[in-house]
Amino acid sequence: MTTSPNRSWWRVGLAVPPLAFLAVFFVWPVTAIIVRGLRPEGVWNLSAVGDVVTDPVIRRVAWFTLWQAVLSTVLCVVAGLPGAALFARYRFVGKRFLWAALLVPFVLPTVVVGVALLGVFGPNGSSGVDLSGTIWAILIAHVFFNYAVVVRTVGGAWSTLDPRVEEAARTLGASPWRGFVEVTLPRLRPAIASAASIVFLFTFTSFGVVLILGGLRQRTIEVEIYDQTARFLHLDVAAGLALVQLVAVVLVLVWFGRTQRRRALVLDRRPASEMERRAVGWRARSFIVANLVFMAVLFGAPLGVLVAKSFSTPDGWGLANYQALDSARRGSTSFVPPLDAIANSLLFAAGATVIALVLGACAAWAIAGSGRGGSPRWANWTDTALMVPLGTSAVTIGFGFFVAFDRAPVDLRSSVWLIPLAHAVVAMPFVVRLLVPALRSIDPELREAAGVLGASPLRVWREIDLPVVSRALAAAAGFAFAVSLGEFGATVFLARPDRPTVPVAIYRALGRPGAVNFGQAMALSVVLMVLTVVVVLVIDRLRPAGSAEF
Amino acid sequence: MNPSLPPAPEPSRPGRSRHRSRRAPLAVLLALGLTVALVAAACSSTKTGGSTDGSAVLGSPLTIEPQQRFPEGTTLKVVTHDSFAVSQDVLAQFTAQTGVEVQLIPSGDAVTAVNKAILTKGNPEGDVLFGIDENLLTSAFDAGLFQPYQAAGLKDVPAQFQVDPQHRVTPIDHGDVCVNYDRTWFTDQGLPLPTTFADLAQPALKGKLVVQDPSASSPGLAFMLATIASQGGADDASSSAAWVRYWQQLKDNGVKVVDGWETAYNVDFSGSAGKGDRPLVVSYASSPPFEVTDPATPPDQAPTGVIAATCYRQTEFAGVLTGAAQPEAAAAFIEFMLSLPFQEDVPQQMYVFPVNSQAVLPETWQRYTTPVADPLAIPYEKVGANRDGWVQQWSALFR
Repeated sequence: MTTSPNRSWWRVGLAVPPLAFLAVFFVWPVTAIIVRGLRPEGVWNLSAVGDVVTDPVIRRVAWFTLWQAVLSTVLCVVAGLPGAALFARYRFVGKRFLWAALLVPFVLPTVVVGVALLGVFGPNGSSGVDLSGTIWAILIAHVFFNYAVVVRTVGGAWSTLDPRVEEAARTLGASPWRGFVEVTLPRLRPAIASAASIVFLFTFTSFGVVLILGGLRQRTIEVEIYDQTARFLHLDVAAGLALVQLVAVVLVLVWFGRTQRRRALVLDRRPASEMERRAVGWRARSFIVANLVFMAVLFGAPLGVLVAKSFSTPDGWGLANYQALDSARRGSTSFVPPLDAIANSLLFAAGATVIALVLGACAAWAIAGSGRGGSPRWANWTDTALMVPLGTSAVTIGFGFFVAFDRAPVDLRSSVWLIPLAHAVVAMPFVVRLLVPALRSIDPELREAAGVLGASPLRVWREIDLPVVSRALAAAAGFAFAVSLGEFGATVFLARPDRPTVPVAIYRALGRPGAVNFGQAMALSVVLMVLTVVVVLVIDRLRPAGSAEF
Repeated sequence: MNPSLPPAPEPSRPGRSRHRSRRAPLAVLLALGLTVALVAAACSSTKTGGSTDGSAVLGSPLTIEPQQRFPEGTTLKVVTHDSFAVSQDVLAQFTAQTGVEVQLIPSGDAVTAVNKAILTKGNPEGDVLFGIDENLLTSAFDAGLFQPYQAAGLKDVPAQFQVDPQHRVTPIDHGDVCVNYDRTWFTDQGLPLPTTFADLAQPALKGKLVVQDPSASSPGLAFMLATIASQGGADDASSSAAWVRYWQQLKDNGVKVVDGWETAYNVDFSGSAGKGDRPLVVSYASSPPFEVTDPATPPDQAPTGVIAATCYRQTEFAGVLTGAAQPEAAAAFIEFMLSLPFQEDVPQQMYVFPVNSQAVLPETWQRYTTPVADPLAIPYEKVGANRDGWVQQWSALFR
């Protein structure tokens, strides 16, 4: 079937704003910094690219980057699927809270996570196993950071799948395993592919985790780019490395995109509230218990270490660290009033979320379309293009901003506007990745029927599309907010006069010696954790009325 | 509802229509490219207008009158590293004296801040750069980052800190990088406190030292330079240079190398609140006073201490950026940074020592810091010429 011309025009129109945003705030700065590296005195010099590609050390780094990312992605998916099932299928005490709390690891600064994980898996760790400096430390940290991506993405999709299909298979004699593998798993594939592609990009560009937990020998391309750019200012080598990273990321994304589209399924969705049930029988109970134990070990223990340290003071337990936040450095230019830091964080995050949601939603509707016959090629390429920022080195984007926006009328170098804009570049892929599978799962017959019955396109959108994707929309908003709260990516390299956020305040405290400063960093981390849970709980409740059951 | 799965819509399969598959990415690229080109055009059109070249300013040396006042509304932009701090009332004194408002622009760690400045030389983000150390001077000078200004306040600064006869940069503070020890650990183990580089390689201290990667961390680099200055072999590019052999001993003795000061001090060092498992860490001569947790009942000694023989001098400088919008106000600020109010504020705010010999140290500093009489040092020109080679020699051992 073909799409009528007027239909494809609105799709193209919808794709323009997100692509323009991408062009200005991603393609332009990244091109600027790469060109600066490859054309230093106005003459192209590509020898560094050749050197990078043939350098055996770089090849080893590239190989390590790739295999640790693949392994991390597989581990995250395997670890996350049971959690997704738990949230999709069962009702239990504290479910809403846990669903929001999953995003906490996502927002914590890497140094803090290093303190937390080493408190459990380090030399003096409570687990008794010392994994520091090994590949296991990196893998555990990657699962720690990305578990939420799998659970929230797949769990959200899973919760609206009709379980009666699997039950029918069971009635016909299929084993529980076979029922899952042959009936449920294929229907989850688009969501799993979405989650996996995000996890892959995050772990492929892993930086702090590798530096802090991996020891010296483990290096990723991201670490090399950082060294060559921020440390040595060898922009030619950095440009070569950035191109290698870019090519690898685009290749993987194209492959993911094909897999995902081939498996896109129209699903018969059911309200989530109908699907979840109380655990009955020992199997279900032990499944829930096993999941909760897993989360307690992987998240509860390290985060517990942070909370404990935040209340630990030289004279025993107490609130001294929290009180010091508002007093210790008062009168200094480096003093960050805690309420200001929280307000700044919320302000930036709200801005980034709105930008990412609006543009990401435009892109998602453009990519998924509303008719039959799949998506045109340009839409699929738009899909891939919007994902690339997630797989691009933060220092490339950060320094790119710095050289691209350095003259009037767009001298944004020390403008606070750059912060939410840079966050939105990273948050937008989440919105697209969560919305597209949800939109594709809508049966086109439903829209056609509504059209035949006289509904305007706007009404079809409001009453069919919106309710079905509202859960994905809320999940996307949660991620966008968390991305911004956690100060992801390029913003680390942007100056921000007078507007420190909570993570910035944490870094400032960790940069100074003494128990008072360390205690403040821990207390601020706990503040960030609480902030995340509260905001995500609110977002989860903000879904449009009448759609709560999906 | 029908429980069976509806048939999946036919997805567009790769390669089914070849001409479309080639045109489609082109359309997206074209759209992206067009926008970029438009933005580029918008920017370059203004570039030709009022761009500052910077080289023009170099001709006339910068001079200001003492107590010079500036027009109402003058704002000075000071680019700093992230660790910069000053008391607000001290900063207010500068505004009161000169009429200049100061805007601070934290710009990453020292290396990142300097490299960003080099990247935008001639069109700087601010007027003054604070926080450049000896090890970065060569690349900054090569890039023509600073315009000379000879501060009157240098009269109270010992000659050893005044490394640039052209006064492109002015020394502001110094913090010696030294190995710190956890006194409690050594007392509990009944071991004598280490006093030399050789002690660090003794079997009794196997697996007890944590240092920073010299390619990524500024104290890490300083400690590597300290080993070069003390063990010798600076001109030996081979793997058997004396200092490289010393590092081989450290490696055999289980030295741990981490990415930066934050990790080493907060995560691995046993003498900090992080309660790590290593009693020896590369940190600063000024770290011990901050481990005295309750100043009301001061112990005789701080719980951590410094191995004086391992100390390496690190001076921090400030300079007026080439192409600064407010060069005179920038010079006035450098003068202010050398004055006593700022110099005496430096220890508690930035954990480093003032360079002004007239400045009085805070009481806890007088009690808990040991003055390092003769720290190790290598001239900055030599560091500039050899640093990358030395880091490579070091990396060959540890990567």
